[in-house]
Amino acid sequence: MKKKILLTCMTAFMIFTAACSNSGNGGETKPTNSTNTPANTASEGKETDKPVEKVTFSYFNGVAAAKDINSNETTIGKILEDQTGVNFKIEHLVGDLNTKVGTMIASNAYPDVMIPDAAIDKILDAGAFIALDDLIEQYGPNIKRVYGKYFNQMRAADGKIYFLPFSNTVGEYIPDPNINQGAFWVQRRVLKEAGYPKVTTLDGYMDLIKNFVEKHKDEDLTGYVSLTHDWRFFATSNPPNHLAGYPNDGNVIVDMNTFEAKTYAADENTKRWLQKLNEINAEGLFDKASFVDNFDQYLAKLTSHKVVGFFDYGWQFANAQNALKDAAKQDPTQDDFVYFPLPVTFDGQKDQYLDPPGFVKNRGMGITVSAKDPARIVQYLDNLLTDENQILQKWGIKGETYEVNENGRMYRTAEQIAKIDEAFNEKFGFKYYSWNWPLYNNGSSLPDGNSVSPGMQAEVFQMSLTNEDKTILEKYGVKTYSELFAAPDDRPWYPAWGIPKEQGSTQQIWETKKDELTKKYFPKLVLAKPADFEKVWTEYTDAFGKLDTAAYEKWTTDEVKKLIEASKQ
Amino acid sequence: MEHKPDMSSSNLVLPKKPSGLKNFAKKLIEQRVLVLMSVPFLAWLFIFKYMPLWGWTIAFQAYKPAKSFSEQKWVGFDHFKFLFEDERFLRVLRNTVAMSGINLVLGFVTAITLALLLNEVRKVAFKRIVQTVSYLPHFISWVVAASIIQTTLSPDGIINQMLLWIGWVEKGEEILFLGIPEQFWTIFGASSVWKDVGWNTIVYLAAMTMIDPAQYEAAEMDGAGRIKRMWYVTLPGIKPVIIVLLIMNIGYLLESGFEPQYLLGNGMNVDFSENLDIFVLKYGIAQGNYSLSIAAGMFKTIISFILLFAANNLAKRMGESRLF
Repeated sequence: MKKKILLTCMTAFMIFTAACSNSGNGGETKPTNSTNTPANTASEGKETDKPVEKVTFSYFNGVAAAKDINSNETTIGKILEDQTGVNFKIEHLVGDLNTKVGTMIASNAYPDVMIPDAAIDKILDAGAFIALDDLIEQYGPNIKRVYGKYFNQMRAADGKIYFLPFSNTVGEYIPDPNINQGAFWVQRRVLKEAGYPKVTTLDGYMDLIKNFVEKHKDEDLTGYVSLTHDWRFFATSNPPNHLAGYPNDGNVIVDMNTFEAKTYAADENTKRWLQKLNEINAEGLFDKASFVDNFDQYLAKLTSHKVVGFFDYGWQFANAQNALKDAAKQDPTQDDFVYFPLPVTFDGQKDQYLDPPGFVKNRGMGITVSAKDPARIVQYLDNLLTDENQILQKWGIKGETYEVNENGRMYRTAEQIAKIDEAFNEKFGFKYYSWNWPLYNNGSSLPDGNSVSPGMQAEVFQMSLTNEDKTILEKYGVKTYSELFAAPDDRPWYPAWGIPKEQGSTQQIWETKKDELTKKYFPKLVLAKPADFEKVWTEYTDAFGKLDTAAYEKWTTDEVKKLIEASKQ
Repeated sequence: MEHKPDMSSSNLVLPKKPSGLKNFAKKLIEQRVLVLMSVPFLAWLFIFKYMPLWGWTIAFQAYKPAKSFSEQKWVGFDHFKFLFEDERFLRVLRNTVAMSGINLVLGFVTAITLALLLNEVRKVAFKRIVQTVSYLPHFISWVVAASIIQTTLSPDGIINQMLLWIGWVEKGEEILFLGIPEQFWTIFGASSVWKDVGWNTIVYLAAMTMIDPAQYEAAEMDGAGRIKRMWYVTLPGIKPVIIVLLIMNIGYLLESGFEPQYLLGNGMNVDFSENLDIFVLKYGIAQGNYSLSIAAGMFKTIISFILLFAANNLAKRMGESRLF
């Protein structure tokens, strides 16, 4: 009796497993067939006047963290769906990018479109993106218009275009009125107390901090902090380059006459920078914990009102700065603690903190080999790139999220600015559409002279300023923060850090090893007794000398020259 | 139930054992139900535990994803050579073994001591509280735990504040604990003990409940005090558990963990904090060099395998309980 029951159970189990594996095999082809047939017959029946069938494509975003959503659940996405019949199921990265992308590669199953961010080399290596050239030729008049002058820079080694980057400038270049890039920041009260001096040298900047800390001994202030956590270490290793008067080209300084790329991690500029830090450390102005704090601890320090000055990129500590600004909006006396950017260089030479209109070539959106209908996707992307849809993507809907005055200038009312908060961004779709799609880059302008992005429009910027903001800008005789800084020179290769590198190439290994060395020796150099500095520096340069820096510099120089050539065509 | 003796006795009833193969086939048919029942699990074992071993071939290739097996370029032992010739690899190996060893010794000593002490506590409420408090940190993720440790050890953290208060350090001379390379192992060991000591005692406490109370009574009759009873009754009572756990842990000697080292490590203490897993992440996975990662993983598996068998064999020779 019992045996029989057991046997029945067993057979049932076996059949079950067999059935499972069967459906697993057949499942992939059959359902697509069955869904295809009705669609085909339907379009054959009456294909003329009916708009195209609605489709949903999957879209993976490896850059941003946000709620997963269907694009047609947002206001902008709905309008675009009405135009094209295409909806995107947007999935964002959870967890580790390389793991996620690695799994996709291993299974050879990709979403229809994706932004692999830093893992783009792996995706290209695996041949996961399809070449877009023919599709653009056929369906992409707008893509050609917007990206045309960058096509040469976008081509892979085999001469084909595999993805669309997002940093293409269209029309007249409009610089950012805010400082989102690098600067030496200082608390506003320091400038106020010192009578709004014009500070342009590193020594001047450090003296400013020193004087302030000395005058406020009882407040337990921290003079200078530096961010060193993990990959964000560049906030500590990049300043020598900026102090010497160059923009953020990554590991190299590119000579403006010979276009030779030179690394600066162990040159005189870096030595001078670290020696200065060593000096202020000896004076007790430098926060030692900078070398062990993580990013959260760093942000917490910046919002604590105790830190007088630091170097960082605006986008990186935006969370802290926004918190301070919000507090200042509630209570104007808190304005003292908001940080103000200063264009500091070694000897007061011309600064190049502002980004020249550059073109980031190693990030972007591509269509994968798994995509069901690449033509429809390209048509959708092309449709995004009309002037009207660019306005929709960035400004929204007239009368709802922006207004136009009698001169044709676009602006936002105070109520509209107040209305657009995080929740609104999500619902309306600014959060999902303002970046991460083919678009006019933020610095672009429309044919009528309006800025494509509200943040760069002078009218909108002025509206966002508090009275205290206006006072301090007035003291320096400027209307925007960026006017404090020198205009960027033309650099066709910019940014050099955006030049794509092959997976596991000698350049990548050089960078990993260089990172390891600088992370190990910079703390030693800064925290050393001033008398020992030279000794540790020799130790560091000896270790650095073992790297094949010449090969890295040659490679970068060649790539820079190629890009200069490409820009001339 | 009544079938069971029937099945097994059928063997004994046979007048003469037939030859090997015949016997095997007969047994197979007799026990077909059992055999059938084990098939899915053998299949599972094969598919999920043995098939992946095929991936080890990657270690001998210059592996490129998305290319078929026949298209891969074979490079022989190049990746192994790279590993063993790299000075960083040896340093990393030293760190791994050292931190594992610290973990092993400290983990055993503290957990067994705590279990012994807890076993002697008569007040149930106190015992419960101590147990709960000591095993709670186990449930905190390392990410949070590392933040707590970093904050505690920072220049304005509680430890430096206390040192300031008792006058061991001067203001402005606070100690940067995580910045002293040689101290990393100490910090790592202490944090691991703090996090896992309570959790590790549970198994020993469970083993102690299995000891016959009569032994304690007998020992007491013979005049053994508390310490003597711990030493001569409790410890020998849990010896089999200790040895089995020791053997298993020796097998994990090359797995010193990844999270604490990764989260607490920084540029200053990298010489002592970087372990095998971080090395593989940095030079293997992050560079897209999967072959190197596999080679390192293979090396790890083989060493662990040898260690496990050696430990087990040793236990066997010493006549102790063992894993298999």
